[in-house]
Amino acid sequence: MKAYVYTDKSLERYAGRFVWLAINTEDAANAAFLKQYPIPALPTLLVLDAKRGQVTLRYVGGATVPQVKKLLDEAEQSYRARSLSPADAALAKGDGLAAAGKSKEAVKAFDDAIAAAPKNWPRFGRTAESLIYALSSTADYARCATRALELYPRVKGTVSAANVASTGLACAAAVEPRNETMVEQLENATQEVFDDPKIVLSDDDRSGLYLALIDSRDAAGDDEGVVDLQTGWSAFLDQSAARAKTAEQRAVYDSHRLSAYVALGIPGKAIPMLEQSQRDFPNDYNPPARLAYAYKEMKEYDKALAASDRALELATGPRRIALLSTRADVYVAKGDAKTARETLEQAIAEAKALPEGQRSDRRIASLEKRLATIE
Amino acid sequence: MKRLLAVAVLVCAAFAAHAELPFIENDYKKAVARAQAKNVPIFVEAWAPW
Repeated sequence: MKAYVYTDKSLERYAGRFVWLAINTEDAANAAFLKQYPIPALPTLLVLDAKRGQVTLRYVGGATVPQVKKLLDEAEQSYRARSLSPADAALAKGDGLAAAGKSKEAVKAFDDAIAAAPKNWPRFGRTAESLIYALSSTADYARCATRALELYPRVKGTVSAANVASTGLACAAAVEPRNETMVEQLENATQEVFDDPKIVLSDDDRSGLYLALIDSRDAAGDDEGVVDLQTGWSAFLDQSAARAKTAEQRAVYDSHRLSAYVALGIPGKAIPMLEQSQRDFPNDYNPPARLAYAYKEMKEYDKALAASDRALELATGPRRIALLSTRADVYVAKGDAKTARETLEQAIAEAKALPEGQRSDRRIASLEKRLATIE
Repeated sequence: MKRLLAVAVLVCAAFAAHAELPFIENDYKKAVARAQAKNVPIFVEAWAPW
């Protein structure tokens, strides 16, 4: 959001009305903060009331400038309010519970907020998004998809429709046994948001719509549909990058462009863009890390390892675990099981040494499981 | 579902400091002290150099 949102002049009027805090989730200095406020996805936006020690507002995902302004206005109003309406109070309770990582309890609070919502309640859309996201976080995919279908007509035509439909679709694709009717209805809703020119979406929201549709078609075994969508996704990202006014804005799209090229079987297309980013940002580990991944996909393993070396020199904390994991993949692909095992053992040791708040038991278990599979 | 979590990353990709708004970088205690002194809320963006 830094590249596109916080640089917007219209946000300057909010500068003195908030204290602005950026938390790099990969910085060990933030481990205590992350333990108190678990972050499920990036970016996550929070508004905190330091006097009362409360969460005033929480929003998971990227936002456009108008969305950020709306969130700031809403948060300021709640912060200054002497009392809250039942719907506002339930929403605030849900935000606080979700921010503490208590998704199941948050679901109930968001449900209560929606039940108590007055007509034309301005926070309805955000509450619906938060409810669907909380349901997906609890892995209650059937209820997530069902509620998304119920709520979609009430947020249709608004920016909240994007997250309600696409998150609901992702949930529907995970429901077993597969419910074709539910998947089809949520695919149609997602496509409807996609095609609505009146809904101004952030690029990550639009990319999210592509991903939800691609995953859904993939789960349906529709190979042709998947390739069509991946081709559209790749073109959309290329166009967005071409419109960028700065190197920083252009590099925002590197990650998803690489994913799209790999999905289409053309990882080599990413090399010039990543080399450009490496020149533009010589101290950033991301370009060489992505080059390592691209070269691995191209089966150019020595180039992958050279890029991995550069990335590991620049990276610290949790990011090194992902880099070592990719590096182990390269050694496996080269047929060097011994070095692959040593690399994974190093990744596990570094993952265990991370401070609480950054250490992920799930990640460690996944690495250990993988280590056991390398003969 | 894994992709669900990855989706939101796109626009957050950023490099170190936040330029236009007066962001405090990685210092929660400082932000709390300043917010209490000014009686204003704290806006937090949790991000990563993705």
